[in-house]
Amino acid sequence: MQGTVQSHTIIRVPDKSHAAMAPFVLLLVELANGKRVLGHFHGASPPAIGSRVTAETSEQTIPVFREEMP
Amino acid sequence: MNVYIAGVGSTKFGVLPDRTLQSIAAEAARAAIADSNIPPARIGCVFVGNFVGGIMTGQELLGPIIAADLGLSNVAAVKIEAACASSSAAARIAYDLIRAGAEDVVLVIGVERLTGASRHALTTAMTAAIDQGTEGAAGLTFPAFWAMVMARHMHLYGTTREQVAAVTVKNRQFGVRNPLAQFQKQVTPDEVLASPPISDPIRRFDCCPATDGAAALVLTNQTLAKHYGSPAVRIAASVLVNGPARITDYDEITVHDGTVHAASRAYEIAGVGPEDINIAELHDCFSVAEIVDSEDLGFFAKGEGGPAAAGASSVRNSKLVINPSGGLLSKGHPTGATGCGQIYEVVMQLRGRHPNQVPNARLGLTHNGGGTAAAVTVHILESLR
Repeated sequence: MQGTVQSHTIIRVPDKSHAAMAPFVLLLVELANGKRVLGHFHGASPPAIGSRVTAETSEQTIPVFREEMP
Repeated sequence: MNVYIAGVGSTKFGVLPDRTLQSIAAEAARAAIADSNIPPARIGCVFVGNFVGGIMTGQELLGPIIAADLGLSNVAAVKIEAACASSSAAARIAYDLIRAGAEDVVLVIGVERLTGASRHALTTAMTAAIDQGTEGAAGLTFPAFWAMVMARHMHLYGTTREQVAAVTVKNRQFGVRNPLAQFQKQVTPDEVLASPPISDPIRRFDCCPATDGAAALVLTNQTLAKHYGSPAVRIAASVLVNGPARITDYDEITVHDGTVHAASRAYEIAGVGPEDINIAELHDCFSVAEIVDSEDLGFFAKGEGGPAAAGASSVRNSKLVINPSGGLLSKGHPTGATGCGQIYEVVMQLRGRHPNQVPNARLGLTHNGGGTAAAVTVHILESLR
Protein backbone atom coordinates (compact mmCIF):
# COMPACT_ATOMS: atom_id res chain seq x y z
CA MET A 1 0.00 0.00 0.00
CA GLN A 2 1.60 3.25 -1.19
CA GLY A 3 0.47 6.85 -0.96
CA THR A 4 1.16 10.49 -0.23
CA VAL A 5 0.89 12.13 3.19
CA GLN A 6 -1.98 14.63 3.25
CA SER A 7 -1.56 15.55 6.90
CA HIS A 8 -0.28 14.28 10.21
CA THR A 9 -0.32 14.71 13.96
CA ILE A 10 1.30 13.29 17.07
CA ILE A 11 -1.44 12.21 19.46
CA ARG A 12 -0.35 12.85 23.05
CA VAL A 13 -3.77 12.65 24.73
CA PRO A 14 -5.44 9.51 23.32
CA ASP A 15 -8.72 7.86 24.11
CA LYS A 16 -8.69 5.02 26.62
CA SER A 17 -8.15 2.22 24.10
CA HIS A 18 -4.99 3.85 22.70
CA ALA A 19 -3.54 5.05 26.01
CA ALA A 20 -0.70 2.52 26.01
CA MET A 21 0.49 3.67 22.57
CA ALA A 22 0.79 7.41 23.28
CA PRO A 23 2.45 9.44 22.01
CA PHE A 24 1.99 8.09 18.49
CA VAL A 25 1.94 9.46 14.96
CA LEU A 26 -1.30 9.39 12.98
CA LEU A 27 -1.15 9.98 9.21
CA LEU A 28 -3.82 10.87 6.66
CA VAL A 29 -2.62 9.26 3.44
CA GLU A 30 -4.00 9.51 -0.08
CA LEU A 31 -3.47 6.25 -1.95
CA ALA A 32 -2.70 6.00 -5.64
CA ASN A 33 -6.36 5.19 -6.41
CA GLY A 34 -7.48 8.43 -4.73
CA LYS A 35 -8.83 6.69 -1.62
CA ARG A 36 -7.75 8.14 1.73
CA VAL A 37 -6.81 6.13 4.79
CA LEU A 38 -5.67 6.79 8.34
CA GLY A 39 -2.57 4.96 9.41
CA HIS A 40 0.14 4.81 12.00
CA PHE A 41 3.82 5.45 11.32
CA HIS A 42 7.12 3.84 12.16
CA GLY A 43 8.93 6.69 13.88
CA ALA A 44 8.48 9.32 16.55
CA SER A 45 8.18 12.29 14.16
CA PRO A 46 5.80 12.38 11.20
CA PRO A 47 7.04 12.68 7.61
CA ALA A 48 6.42 15.99 5.84
CA ILE A 49 3.12 16.59 4.06
CA GLY A 50 3.61 15.48 0.47
CA SER A 51 6.01 12.68 1.39
CA ARG A 52 5.59 9.25 -0.17
CA VAL A 53 4.89 6.45 2.29
CA THR A 54 4.43 2.69 2.09
CA ALA A 55 2.52 0.44 4.45
CA GLU A 56 4.49 -2.51 5.71
CA THR A 57 1.64 -4.92 5.22
CA SER A 58 -1.79 -4.72 3.66
CA GLU A 59 -3.20 -7.37 6.01
CA GLN A 60 -3.42 -5.16 9.08
CA THR A 61 -6.67 -3.32 9.85
CA ILE A 62 -4.77 -0.13 10.63
CA PRO A 63 -1.88 0.28 8.16
CA VAL A 64 1.54 1.13 9.57
CA PHE A 65 3.43 3.35 7.13
CA ARG A 66 7.12 3.85 6.56
CA GLU A 67 8.61 6.74 4.57
CA GLU A 68 9.79 5.75 1.09
CA MET A 69 13.45 6.34 0.40
CA PRO A 70 14.05 8.68 -2.57
CA MET B 1 -44.83 31.70 8.07
CA ASN B 2 -42.13 33.64 9.89
CA VAL B 3 -40.59 32.10 13.00
CA TYR B 4 -39.43 34.07 16.01
CA ILE B 5 -37.27 33.47 19.04
CA ALA B 6 -39.57 34.82 21.71
CA GLY B 7 -37.40 34.10 24.74
CA VAL B 8 -33.94 32.93 25.70
CA GLY B 9 -32.32 31.68 28.89
CA SER B 10 -28.96 30.35 29.96
CA THR B 11 -27.06 29.14 32.96
CA LYS B 12 -23.48 30.17 33.48
CA PHE B 13 -21.14 27.98 31.46
CA GLY B 14 -18.32 26.41 33.45
CA VAL B 15 -17.77 23.94 36.24
CA LEU B 16 -21.11 23.44 37.99
CA PRO B 17 -20.44 20.92 40.75
CA ASP B 18 -23.30 19.21 42.51
CA ARG B 19 -25.74 20.07 39.71
CA THR B 20 -27.61 17.48 37.66
CA LEU B 21 -28.36 17.62 33.96
CA GLN B 22 -32.02 18.03 34.82
CA SER B 23 -31.51 20.92 37.22
CA ILE B 24 -29.38 23.04 34.90
CA ALA B 25 -31.71 22.30 31.97
CA ALA B 26 -34.70 23.40 34.03
CA GLU B 27 -32.92 26.59 35.14
CA ALA B 28 -32.27 27.65 31.54
CA ALA B 29 -35.73 26.60 30.39
CA ARG B 30 -37.55 28.53 33.13
CA ALA B 31 -35.50 31.62 32.29
CA ALA B 32 -36.37 31.35 28.59
CA ILE B 33 -40.09 30.86 29.28
CA ALA B 34 -40.17 33.85 31.64
CA ASP B 35 -38.24 35.94 29.10
CA SER B 36 -40.79 35.14 26.37
CA ASN B 37 -43.84 36.25 28.41
CA ILE B 38 -45.64 33.22 26.93
CA PRO B 39 -47.59 31.05 29.41
CA PRO B 40 -46.05 27.56 29.77
CA ALA B 41 -49.43 26.03 28.93
CA ARG B 42 -48.98 27.22 25.32
CA ILE B 43 -45.90 25.01 24.84
CA GLY B 44 -46.66 22.04 22.61
CA CYS B 45 -43.23 20.54 22.16
CA VAL B 46 -40.03 20.20 24.19
CA PHE B 47 -36.80 19.26 22.41
CA VAL B 48 -33.70 18.57 24.48
CA GLY B 49 -30.38 18.76 22.63
CA ASN B 50 -27.83 16.58 24.39
CA PHE B 51 -24.79 14.64 23.24
CA VAL B 52 -23.26 12.44 25.96
CA GLY B 53 -25.65 12.60 28.90
CA GLY B 54 -26.01 8.85 28.83
CA ILE B 55 -22.26 8.19 28.74
CA MET B 56 -21.20 10.82 31.27
CA THR B 57 -24.07 10.68 33.78
CA GLY B 58 -26.00 7.52 32.99
CA GLN B 59 -29.16 9.55 32.43
CA GLU B 60 -31.25 9.14 29.29
CA LEU B 61 -34.90 9.92 28.44
CA LEU B 62 -34.11 13.58 29.02
CA GLY B 63 -37.09 14.90 27.05
CA PRO B 64 -39.89 13.52 29.22
CA ILE B 65 -37.94 13.87 32.48
CA ILE B 66 -37.09 17.55 31.96
CA ALA B 67 -40.58 18.33 30.65
CA ALA B 68 -42.02 16.78 33.81
CA ASP B 69 -39.62 18.80 35.98
CA LEU B 70 -40.96 21.92 34.26
CA GLY B 71 -44.53 20.91 35.02
CA LEU B 72 -45.32 20.35 31.33
CA SER B 73 -47.67 17.47 30.55
CA ASN B 74 -49.29 16.19 27.38
CA VAL B 75 -46.49 17.61 25.23
CA ALA B 76 -44.18 15.95 22.71
CA ALA B 77 -40.85 15.74 24.58
CA VAL B 78 -37.79 14.08 23.07
CA LYS B 79 -34.01 14.25 23.06
CA ILE B 80 -32.24 15.25 19.82
CA GLU B 81 -28.63 14.14 19.28
CA ALA B 82 -26.22 15.47 16.66
CA ALA B 83 -23.02 15.48 18.75
CA CYS B 84 -21.89 19.08 19.40
CA ALA B 85 -24.67 20.40 17.14
CA SER B 86 -27.45 18.69 19.11
CA SER B 87 -29.34 21.73 20.35
CA SER B 88 -29.01 23.79 17.17
CA ALA B 89 -30.32 20.77 15.26
CA ALA B 90 -33.22 20.71 17.72
CA ALA B 91 -33.78 24.43 17.02
CA ARG B 92 -33.95 23.66 13.30
CA ILE B 93 -36.64 21.00 13.85
CA ALA B 94 -38.58 23.38 16.10
CA TYR B 95 -38.30 26.07 13.40
CA ASP B 96 -39.80 23.69 10.84
CA LEU B 97 -42.76 22.82 13.08
CA ILE B 98 -43.60 26.48 13.72
CA ARG B 99 -43.09 27.45 10.08
CA ALA B 100 -45.40 24.66 8.94
CA GLY B 101 -48.06 25.70 11.44
CA ALA B 102 -47.90 22.31 13.16
CA GLU B 103 -46.98 23.87 16.53
CA ASP B 104 -47.48 27.33 18.02
CA VAL B 105 -44.80 27.28 20.72
CA VAL B 106 -41.77 25.00 21.01
CA LEU B 107 -39.27 24.96 23.86
CA VAL B 108 -35.72 24.00 22.82
CA ILE B 109 -33.20 23.19 25.54
CA GLY B 110 -29.52 22.35 25.17
CA VAL B 111 -27.78 20.76 28.13
CA GLU B 112 -24.55 18.94 29.00
CA ARG B 113 -22.44 17.96 32.00
CA LEU B 114 -18.81 17.24 31.11
CA THR B 115 -16.71 18.19 34.12
CA GLY B 116 -15.59 15.93 36.93
CA ALA B 117 -14.51 13.03 34.71
CA SER B 118 -10.95 11.96 33.98
CA ARG B 119 -9.25 13.26 30.84
CA HIS B 120 -9.29 9.78 29.28
CA ALA B 121 -12.98 9.31 30.11
CA LEU B 122 -13.88 12.67 28.58
CA THR B 123 -11.82 11.98 25.44
CA THR B 124 -13.45 8.58 25.11
CA ALA B 125 -16.94 10.09 25.46
CA MET B 126 -16.24 12.77 22.85
CA THR B 127 -14.90 10.22 20.39
CA ALA B 128 -18.33 8.57 20.39
CA ALA B 129 -18.95 11.01 17.51
CA ILE B 130 -16.14 9.42 15.49
CA ASP B 131 -16.91 6.33 13.39
CA GLN B 132 -15.71 3.68 15.82
CA GLY B 133 -15.54 0.92 13.24
CA THR B 134 -12.91 2.71 11.18
CA GLU B 135 -11.28 5.92 12.37
CA GLY B 136 -11.88 5.42 16.08
CA ALA B 137 -9.94 2.17 15.78
CA ALA B 138 -6.99 4.12 14.33
CA GLY B 139 -7.00 6.36 17.40
CA LEU B 140 -8.48 9.51 15.85
CA THR B 141 -9.66 12.05 18.43
CA PHE B 142 -11.16 15.49 17.85
CA PRO B 143 -7.95 17.33 18.80
CA ALA B 144 -6.22 15.02 16.28
CA PHE B 145 -8.81 15.78 13.58
CA TRP B 146 -8.32 19.53 14.00
CA ALA B 147 -4.56 19.12 14.34
CA MET B 148 -4.49 17.50 10.90
CA VAL B 149 -6.66 20.30 9.52
CA MET B 150 -4.30 22.85 11.08
CA ALA B 151 -1.12 21.18 9.81
CA ARG B 152 -2.50 21.07 6.28
CA HIS B 153 -3.83 24.66 6.43
CA MET B 154 -0.34 25.78 7.47
CA HIS B 155 1.17 23.73 4.64
CA LEU B 156 -1.19 24.95 1.90
CA TYR B 157 -1.67 28.59 2.86
CA GLY B 158 1.30 29.51 5.01
CA THR B 159 -0.89 30.02 8.07
CA THR B 160 1.39 30.51 11.06
CA ARG B 161 1.29 29.20 14.62
CA GLU B 162 1.09 32.81 15.81
CA GLN B 163 -1.95 33.58 13.63
CA VAL B 164 -3.80 30.60 15.08
CA ALA B 165 -2.84 31.62 18.62
CA ALA B 166 -4.32 35.05 17.95
CA VAL B 167 -7.79 33.48 17.85
CA THR B 168 -7.45 32.24 21.43
CA VAL B 169 -6.08 35.59 22.58
CA LYS B 170 -9.00 37.49 20.97
CA ASN B 171 -11.69 35.16 22.32
CA ARG B 172 -10.22 35.19 25.82
CA GLN B 173 -10.37 39.01 25.70
CA PHE B 174 -14.09 38.83 24.91
CA GLY B 175 -14.61 36.26 27.66
CA VAL B 176 -13.32 38.65 30.31
CA ARG B 177 -16.49 40.74 29.99
CA ASN B 178 -19.01 37.92 29.53
CA PRO B 179 -20.37 36.87 32.93
CA LEU B 180 -21.55 33.55 31.46
CA ALA B 181 -18.05 32.61 30.25
CA GLN B 182 -16.06 29.78 31.81
CA PHE B 183 -12.73 31.55 31.27
CA GLN B 184 -12.72 35.21 32.25
CA LYS B 185 -8.96 35.69 32.19
CA GLN B 186 -6.85 36.95 29.30
CA VAL B 187 -3.96 34.95 27.89
CA THR B 188 -0.94 36.17 25.93
CA PRO B 189 0.28 34.73 22.62
CA ASP B 190 3.36 33.42 24.44
CA GLU B 191 1.18 31.58 26.96
CA VAL B 192 -0.76 29.91 24.13
CA LEU B 193 2.44 28.88 22.35
CA ALA B 194 4.02 27.57 25.56
CA SER B 195 1.01 25.56 26.71
CA PRO B 196 1.42 21.75 26.66
CA PRO B 197 0.98 19.94 23.32
CA ILE B 198 -2.20 17.87 23.02
CA SER B 199 -2.09 16.69 19.42
CA ASP B 200 0.63 18.46 17.46
CA PRO B 201 0.44 21.28 16.41
CA ILE B 202 -2.55 21.86 18.73
CA ARG B 203 -1.74 22.92 22.27
CA ARG B 204 -3.88 23.10 25.37
CA PHE B 205 -4.84 26.78 24.95
CA ASP B 206 -5.96 26.02 21.39
CA CYS B 207 -8.63 23.75 22.86
CA CYS B 208 -12.01 24.66 24.27
CA PRO B 209 -12.57 23.47 27.84
CA ALA B 210 -14.85 20.75 29.18
CA THR B 211 -17.92 22.60 30.35
CA ASP B 212 -21.21 22.17 32.16
CA GLY B 213 -24.12 24.33 31.11
CA ALA B 214 -27.55 24.74 29.60
CA ALA B 215 -29.29 27.23 27.34
CA ALA B 216 -32.87 27.38 26.12
CA LEU B 217 -35.03 29.06 23.48
CA VAL B 218 -38.77 29.58 23.06
CA LEU B 219 -39.81 29.61 19.41
CA THR B 220 -43.17 30.84 18.22
CA ASN B 221 -45.05 32.49 15.37
CA GLN B 222 -45.62 36.17 14.71
CA THR B 223 -49.16 36.20 16.11
CA LEU B 224 -48.20 34.87 19.54
CA ALA B 225 -44.96 36.86 19.72
CA LYS B 226 -46.99 40.05 19.23
CA HIS B 227 -49.85 38.94 21.47
CA TYR B 228 -47.57 38.31 24.44
CA GLY B 229 -45.22 41.20 23.76
CA SER B 230 -42.21 38.91 23.47
CA PRO B 231 -38.83 40.59 22.90
CA ALA B 232 -38.63 38.66 19.65
CA VAL B 233 -35.89 38.16 17.09
CA ARG B 234 -36.76 36.75 13.65
CA ILE B 235 -35.11 33.60 12.37
CA ALA B 236 -34.24 34.61 8.80
CA ALA B 237 -32.77 31.18 8.00
CA SER B 238 -32.31 27.86 9.79
CA VAL B 239 -30.30 25.22 7.96
CA LEU B 240 -29.07 21.78 9.00
CA VAL B 241 -26.97 19.69 6.62
CA ASN B 242 -24.64 16.74 6.86
CA GLY B 243 -21.00 16.88 5.88
CA PRO B 244 -18.33 14.18 5.60
CA ALA B 245 -18.72 11.83 8.57
CA ARG B 246 -15.11 10.62 8.42
CA ILE B 247 -11.86 12.50 7.89
CA THR B 248 -11.10 10.09 5.03
CA ASP B 249 -14.35 11.14 3.30
CA TYR B 250 -13.04 14.68 2.78
CA ASP B 251 -11.73 15.68 -0.64
CA GLU B 252 -9.76 18.44 1.13
CA ILE B 253 -9.74 18.64 4.92
CA THR B 254 -9.24 22.42 5.01
CA VAL B 255 -12.61 22.90 3.28
CA HIS B 256 -15.58 21.77 5.35
CA ASP B 257 -18.30 20.96 2.87
CA GLY B 258 -21.06 20.92 5.47
CA THR B 259 -20.31 24.48 6.50
CA VAL B 260 -19.98 25.68 2.90
CA HIS B 261 -23.32 24.15 1.91
CA ALA B 262 -25.18 25.21 5.06
CA ALA B 263 -23.95 28.79 4.73
CA SER B 264 -24.75 29.00 1.05
CA ARG B 265 -28.29 27.78 1.63
CA ALA B 266 -28.80 30.05 4.66
CA TYR B 267 -27.66 33.16 2.77
CA GLU B 268 -30.01 32.29 -0.10
CA ILE B 269 -33.01 31.75 2.20
CA ALA B 270 -32.33 34.96 4.15
CA GLY B 271 -31.60 36.96 1.00
CA VAL B 272 -28.32 38.23 2.38
CA GLY B 273 -24.61 37.57 1.90
CA PRO B 274 -21.67 37.18 4.27
CA GLU B 275 -20.89 40.87 3.83
CA ASP B 276 -24.23 41.73 5.51
CA ILE B 277 -23.52 39.88 8.75
CA ASN B 278 -22.62 42.07 11.75
CA ILE B 279 -21.87 39.38 14.31
CA ALA B 280 -21.08 35.69 14.08
CA GLU B 281 -20.82 33.05 16.76
CA LEU B 282 -18.68 30.33 15.17
CA HIS B 283 -17.86 26.83 16.33
CA ASP B 284 -14.32 27.49 17.58
CA CYS B 285 -13.91 24.17 19.39
CA PHE B 286 -10.22 24.62 18.53
CA SER B 287 -8.57 27.91 17.60
CA VAL B 288 -7.87 26.84 14.02
CA ALA B 289 -11.56 25.99 13.61
CA GLU B 290 -12.49 29.67 13.77
CA ILE B 291 -10.07 30.35 10.90
CA VAL B 292 -11.38 27.50 8.73
CA ASP B 293 -15.03 28.26 9.55
CA SER B 294 -14.64 31.97 8.83
CA GLU B 295 -13.37 31.05 5.38
CA ASP B 296 -16.02 28.42 4.69
CA LEU B 297 -18.77 30.85 5.76
CA GLY B 298 -17.51 33.31 3.16
CA PHE B 299 -16.18 35.96 5.52
CA PHE B 300 -12.65 35.57 4.13
CA ALA B 301 -11.18 33.90 1.06
CA LYS B 302 -9.61 30.48 1.61
CA GLY B 303 -6.19 31.01 3.14
CA GLU B 304 -6.94 34.53 4.39
CA GLY B 305 -8.50 33.50 7.69
CA GLY B 306 -5.12 33.29 9.42
CA PRO B 307 -3.90 36.78 8.48
CA ALA B 308 -7.37 38.15 9.29
CA ALA B 309 -7.21 36.63 12.78
CA ALA B 310 -3.74 38.02 13.39
CA GLY B 311 -4.69 41.42 11.98
CA ALA B 312 -7.65 41.56 14.33
CA SER B 313 -9.94 42.45 11.43
CA SER B 314 -12.63 40.44 13.15
CA VAL B 315 -12.41 42.03 16.59
CA ARG B 316 -15.02 44.21 18.21
CA ASN B 317 -16.03 47.45 16.48
CA SER B 318 -14.86 46.29 13.07
CA LYS B 319 -17.50 45.58 10.40
CA LEU B 320 -17.81 41.91 11.35
CA VAL B 321 -17.28 40.75 14.91
CA ILE B 322 -16.56 37.07 15.41
CA ASN B 323 -17.34 35.32 18.69
CA PRO B 324 -17.99 38.37 20.88
CA SER B 325 -19.25 35.92 23.52
CA GLY B 326 -15.72 34.58 23.86
CA GLY B 327 -16.67 31.58 21.71
CA LEU B 328 -16.25 27.99 22.73
CA LEU B 329 -12.62 28.74 23.59
CA SER B 330 -13.56 31.14 26.37
CA LYS B 331 -17.27 30.89 27.07
CA GLY B 332 -16.92 27.09 27.07
CA HIS B 333 -18.33 24.13 25.19
CA PRO B 334 -21.04 22.14 26.96
CA THR B 335 -21.44 20.20 23.71
CA GLY B 336 -25.19 19.55 23.65
CA ALA B 337 -25.91 23.07 24.90
CA THR B 338 -23.52 24.98 22.67
CA GLY B 339 -25.90 25.55 19.73
CA CYS B 340 -28.59 27.10 21.92
CA GLY B 341 -25.88 29.01 23.78
CA GLN B 342 -24.66 30.58 20.54
CA ILE B 343 -28.22 31.59 19.59
CA TYR B 344 -28.71 33.04 23.09
CA GLU B 345 -25.62 35.21 22.59
CA VAL B 346 -26.71 36.51 19.18
CA VAL B 347 -30.25 37.23 20.42
CA MET B 348 -28.82 39.33 23.25
CA GLN B 349 -26.68 41.22 20.72
CA LEU B 350 -29.68 41.86 18.46
CA ARG B 351 -31.65 43.15 21.46
CA GLY B 352 -28.77 45.51 22.26
CA ARG B 353 -28.21 43.94 25.69
CA HIS B 354 -24.92 42.07 25.39
CA PRO B 355 -21.95 42.76 27.71
CA ASN B 356 -19.74 42.93 24.59
CA GLN B 357 -22.36 44.82 22.61
CA VAL B 358 -21.62 45.35 18.92
CA PRO B 359 -23.02 48.76 17.93
CA ASN B 360 -25.98 48.70 15.51
CA ALA B 361 -26.01 44.91 15.18
CA ARG B 362 -28.88 43.97 12.85
CA LEU B 363 -27.96 40.56 11.42
CA GLY B 364 -26.28 37.76 13.34
CA LEU B 365 -25.15 34.30 12.32
CA THR B 366 -24.50 31.15 14.33
CA HIS B 367 -22.50 28.19 13.08
CA ASN B 368 -22.49 24.94 15.04
CA GLY B 369 -20.76 21.71 13.99
CA GLY B 370 -21.09 18.15 15.23
CA GLY B 371 -18.49 15.41 14.78
CA THR B 372 -16.05 15.93 11.92
CA ALA B 373 -18.29 18.83 10.77
CA ALA B 374 -20.63 15.97 9.90
CA ALA B 375 -23.74 17.72 11.22
CA VAL B 376 -23.69 21.47 10.62
CA THR B 377 -26.24 24.15 11.37
CA VAL B 378 -26.24 27.77 10.29
CA HIS B 379 -28.82 30.19 11.68
CA ILE B 380 -29.23 33.78 10.54
CA LEU B 381 -31.13 35.97 12.98
CA GLU B 382 -32.57 39.41 12.34
CA SER B 383 -33.16 42.21 14.82
CA LEU B 384 -36.66 43.71 14.96
CA ARG B 385 -35.52 46.85 16.79
